[in-house]
Amino acid sequence: MSLSVMTFIADAFKLAFKVLKERKLRATLTLLGIMIGPLVMIMMGSVVAGYSSYIVNQIALLGQNAVVIYPSSDYKLTHEDLNYIKSFTYVDEAEPFYVSQGVIKRGVENVQVYVYAVKIPLILRSIGGLEVVEGELPMEGDVVSALVGYKVAFDGQGNMLYKVGDVITITVSEVKGGRITKTRSINVVVIGILNEYGGALLFSPDQTIFLNSEAGTKLLNIRDWSGIFVLLRDPIYVNEFTTTLRETYGDKLTVIAFGAIAKIASSIASAVTFINFTTSLSALAVAVAGITATMVTSVIERTREIGVMKAVGFTNVQVVLMILAESLAMSLLGGSVGMILGVVGAYMLASRGLEIAGETTSIIVRAQPALTPDLFLLTSGLTVLVGIIGGLLPAYMASKIPPAVALRYE
Amino acid sequence: MPDDVVVVDNVYKSYRVGEVVTWALRGVSLKVKRGDMIAIMGPSGSGKTTLLNMIGLLDRPTKGKIYIDGIDTSKLSDHELANFRNYKIGFVFQTFNLVGRLTVLENIELPLIARGLPRHVRAKIVMEALKKVGGDESWLKKRPTQLSGGQQQRVAIARAIVTSPSIILADEPTGNLDRASAKVVMNTFLELNKSGQTIVIVTHDPEVANCTNKIYVIRDGMIVDVKEPDKSRNILLTT
Repeated sequence: MSLSVMTFIADAFKLAFKVLKERKLRATLTLLGIMIGPLVMIMMGSVVAGYSSYIVNQIALLGQNAVVIYPSSDYKLTHEDLNYIKSFTYVDEAEPFYVSQGVIKRGVENVQVYVYAVKIPLILRSIGGLEVVEGELPMEGDVVSALVGYKVAFDGQGNMLYKVGDVITITVSEVKGGRITKTRSINVVVIGILNEYGGALLFSPDQTIFLNSEAGTKLLNIRDWSGIFVLLRDPIYVNEFTTTLRETYGDKLTVIAFGAIAKIASSIASAVTFINFTTSLSALAVAVAGITATMVTSVIERTREIGVMKAVGFTNVQVVLMILAESLAMSLLGGSVGMILGVVGAYMLASRGLEIAGETTSIIVRAQPALTPDLFLLTSGLTVLVGIIGGLLPAYMASKIPPAVALRYE
Repeated sequence: MPDDVVVVDNVYKSYRVGEVVTWALRGVSLKVKRGDMIAIMGPSGSGKTTLLNMIGLLDRPTKGKIYIDGIDTSKLSDHELANFRNYKIGFVFQTFNLVGRLTVLENIELPLIARGLPRHVRAKIVMEALKKVGGDESWLKKRPTQLSGGQQQRVAIARAIVTSPSIILADEPTGNLDRASAKVVMNTFLELNKSGQTIVIVTHDPEVANCTNKIYVIRDGMIVDVKEPDKSRNILLTT
């Protein structure tokens, strides 16, 4: 591009901004219409992407090769089932577990916790990033020592309320059919504290008290296994393993593979992202119509001025560029304001958190909006496109006005 | 360069409104010599502005040819015509046609923007043009509405001469001005003509036409008379 063309384009933009300044109210209203698209794209796009990525990562962290098997309400897991599961050559480890919900006193507040009686080393092996930061693991056969999650030991301000050696009284609930039927109190001794994990999907280690498997029957008084935790040698076996189990047991078991859930979550996230993107495109289409309407009005009003420009030597191409510069100036201005508001909106929206409700409990997930360069590039690109498409018709109209006719226009 | 800046050769122009064809020009021929200053006079609707538009390449003749600096303009594309207007022709309009939101500087430099000249080069040329029409630097940042009618027309003349065109075409340049301002404007044209600028003025005011060297009288789309001006009765000498 030659220097004279670049100089002309720079001048065209300078003149375009002067037009916008002259017609402030109309320009402001058009900008409002334009900014909605980029605002929605940035705000919703980044929040959806942020939460999607968080959810998928959290599920993936739970172990791509981990599978959890729950019995249906009318089926009881037995040693026979456990042996059958262990008979698969690619099953590395399979251990039954007991789970219950309870409430503990943490300072002045009651905190809801999960109580797992399980082979603790297996859990630590399966869940990436979960470590003991204080104390140690309960000895094998010890039914009262507990490894507690971070939010059990610490309050929201990071104050330690339970340290190693302290006794925690848990009011344990017995849940049947999704309803708490009975409660009773048990005491456990804190022997180890886990690091802050942050995850809160499907399984929340921070709000969990881990006991040895033996505590399931002896302390929690749960007669039947709540489920079997299985670790496969490699994630590639997950599909075959879960399919075989489902074929063998039918509705008797619920088989949850974290890797598969991650894939489903990822697909859902993609679908939500697509829906959000198409919604944003609708807003951008409205912006195109807004720009076209504004620019057509502007061209009609400035017919005489366009005639003067042609009289002094502006070519039709230069007139087109002048009008496009105006529509682009509007879209870039509206787009920039929209994107800035989108960022602010994204943080406001994300700070509210996402509540995931279960039958008896709910958790609030908070994820940072994913404000990626790609999202800004895409939004900026579409904003520019809106300006160009919106300006095409008026620019064409302006270029086709015969100069002699334009100069006579009243 | 040929002696004749403009040659209008048997030009016809018709307009069609529905089934009705109206002839605005009927076989007009004239020549404008380099450095000359002529007037085209005639009553309203006689075709004088149409003729000026033809010479200014704002419109194409239905028949006949127009040569500018010896070049047959009928063969030029729209793009070439635009460039031709930029390099060869300067326009001055009755209603000044200055852009209200732009400063005087920006109005005068419009033809130079079309050339893609950088800002600092334009500023220098604009200042020279403004001085030629009797303006000064204090005008540059003003809006047209902050100037008097006569000053606005002189800004319009500056815009017309800023590209050093072969010819200036002025359509009723004093039509919207009071007598005093009209005198100033005509004086500006005379000064420019003295320095060698070719000028064509369309007017219905005999006192304005009498400032020029030759008067073409047009009626019903035809040149009906070519006469010498009565210099003793030009606008500059009347009260």
